[in-house]
Amino acid sequence: MFDWMLWTTPTALVFAGIAALLLIMGVWARLSPPIARRGFLRIETDRGDRLYIGLISAAAFLVLWIAVTDLSMLLALGGALVLIVVIGRWG
Amino acid sequence: MRRLPWARTVFWLYAATLMLPLLWMFGMSIRPNADILGAFSLVPQRVTLENYETFFTDSTWYSSYLNSIVYTSMNTVMSLVVALPAAYAFSRFRFAGDKHLFFWLLTNRMAPPAVFLLPFFQIYQSVGLFDTHLGVALAHMLFNVPLAVWILEGFMSGIPREIDETAAIDGYSLPGFFFRIFLPMIRSAIGVTAFFCFMFSWVELLIARTITSVDAKPIAATMTRTVSAAGVDWGLLAAAGVMTIIPGAILIWFVRNYIAKGFALGRV
Amino acid sequence: MSDGRQKHNRAWWLVLPVVVSVAFTAIIPLMTVVNYSVQDIFSPFDRIFVGLDWFRDVARDPEVRGALVRTLIFSAQVLLIEIPLGVLIAVCMPRRGWTVSVALVLVALPLLIPWNVVGTIWQIFARGDIGLGGWAVNKVVNFNYTLDSADAWITVLAMDVWHWTPLVVLLAYAGLRSIPDPYFQAAQIDGASAWATFRHIQLPRLRGVLTIAILLRFMDSFMIYTEPFVVTGGGPGNATSFLSILLSKIAVGQFDLGPAGAFSLLYFLIVQIVCYVFFTVLTRSGR
Repeated sequence: MFDWMLWTTPTALVFAGIAALLLIMGVWARLSPPIARRGFLRIETDRGDRLYIGLISAAAFLVLWIAVTDLSMLLALGGALVLIVVIGRWG
Repeated sequence: MRRLPWARTVFWLYAATLMLPLLWMFGMSIRPNADILGAFSLVPQRVTLENYETFFTDSTWYSSYLNSIVYTSMNTVMSLVVALPAAYAFSRFRFAGDKHLFFWLLTNRMAPPAVFLLPFFQIYQSVGLFDTHLGVALAHMLFNVPLAVWILEGFMSGIPREIDETAAIDGYSLPGFFFRIFLPMIRSAIGVTAFFCFMFSWVELLIARTITSVDAKPIAATMTRTVSAAGVDWGLLAAAGVMTIIPGAILIWFVRNYIAKGFALGRV
Repeated sequence: MSDGRQKHNRAWWLVLPVVVSVAFTAIIPLMTVVNYSVQDIFSPFDRIFVGLDWFRDVARDPEVRGALVRTLIFSAQVLLIEIPLGVLIAVCMPRRGWTVSVALVLVALPLLIPWNVVGTIWQIFARGDIGLGGWAVNKVVNFNYTLDSADAWITVLAMDVWHWTPLVVLLAYAGLRSIPDPYFQAAQIDGASAWATFRHIQLPRLRGVLTIAILLRFMDSFMIYTEPFVVTGGGPGNATSFLSILLSKIAVGQFDLGPAGAFSLLYFLIVQIVCYVFFTVLTRSGR
């Protein structure tokens, strides 16, 4: 039924990861409700917002990387993870 | 209040400029093709209805016009049915992930339709909805459901919550209250939302053209495929253009005071 | 969404239909696009995983970059012209009497015209041989939007200004109407000039609606497709080939699934970022 979507293992893993992330955030919200606060982004965010901002910034960072340098994507991936953690923790 | 002395003039000049291209197209639609391509003239030399006659007698034209009306109407009903309870939930309750869901809906309203072209083409072929009215109506829910939720939420938030509470004390269940008290209260909002769903589905071309070929082909697609070996039939094209403006032009009077609110996703 | 709402997780049942319907029209297609973007596809049974190659190609493609730059310049010009013009017209709009309704309907009319018909209207209107606009301009300077790049650009820009300034007018007008009369009476007693009244009373009050107008106009001009497609088809050359036009050429015209998928995702990413700014502004100005 979903043959026409032309799945590959890596993309399936990525989506499974996103689903797991949503699930974890949902369970976490149930265990300890998120509290909105202000960080260096200067707008009031709770952890869901910061995760979203972090993911989007990481994606933008990866695109810029791939557009301008031929250096390894692993380096970029490391940078993106750092970005997500920094925004999630102090954003 | 104080008005600038020339305000009136500026406004009506602007309104006249706005109408000029429209009137010009109308002028084209009532001229015979020979006159259009002949010598340039400001006023039609001969007035004819033959372009409209072709529009109403040639089945590729009138049937695609009907196709558009059918799928926009289906889309309007479907969008409203799913959007009404959701808009109520967003305006009245807090629930896990509400803000993120509301935002996600907005991203679908803002997404360029071009992004969804290829998968739409594949999906609708694989589930057998390609070139059907239902298929186009479903595809247009992509931007119309978010639009309807946002506009309705804007209207519903303006209705005091005390009404819900009073009804609950009077012994109404949630569905009973929703259908017997709340819906009649917001019927003008529903009308406005229906208008905007109809309109945004009516004006869309890219998706509708991609997932149809013959049976559900919209008028917009017919209009962009008129260039034949003999060149463009300007008179007929103009007549079709006038015909597509008519539904909006008739309905606009009823929603004139809410147009800004509708276009601003209910946020004005 | 206002605050003071009841906490009520069963409300999820009320939004479920929306989630399901939009999942069918948005999430599944988006997943498919992601799958396309990492493969070289010859047929459903003959495809190779290529990783991020398409993203690299698209992000470095001069044609894509050109279209991005053109789209951004177009959006900037649209905002620079339509916002001030829209505010000016809104200030001049009648406030009382039966002319209000007539004015509202006239101004709103271009917004309700199917986008391809807007294209048709301008295709006819701007032609030198059969259109009033093109004919009039031709009396002064040589003008032909099918051959000259600058003329094509001006035509598309004029068309957008014609089509969408009414949106700014309507929003600004709604904002102006919400200013209570006593403000103006006070200004009149103080003997304030028309400009001072506008600058210190009307403009500050318009901030909310103008933010919405700017964001809406940016988003919609950033994904413009139908109108330039009808009038110029992206040409002459690629003078008016904006992102959506280029993307649908690659996707539907050439049916290059991989590059079109990668292109779509990059396009979608930009929209996501702007959209988040939009949302943040909207939800915060409501408080």
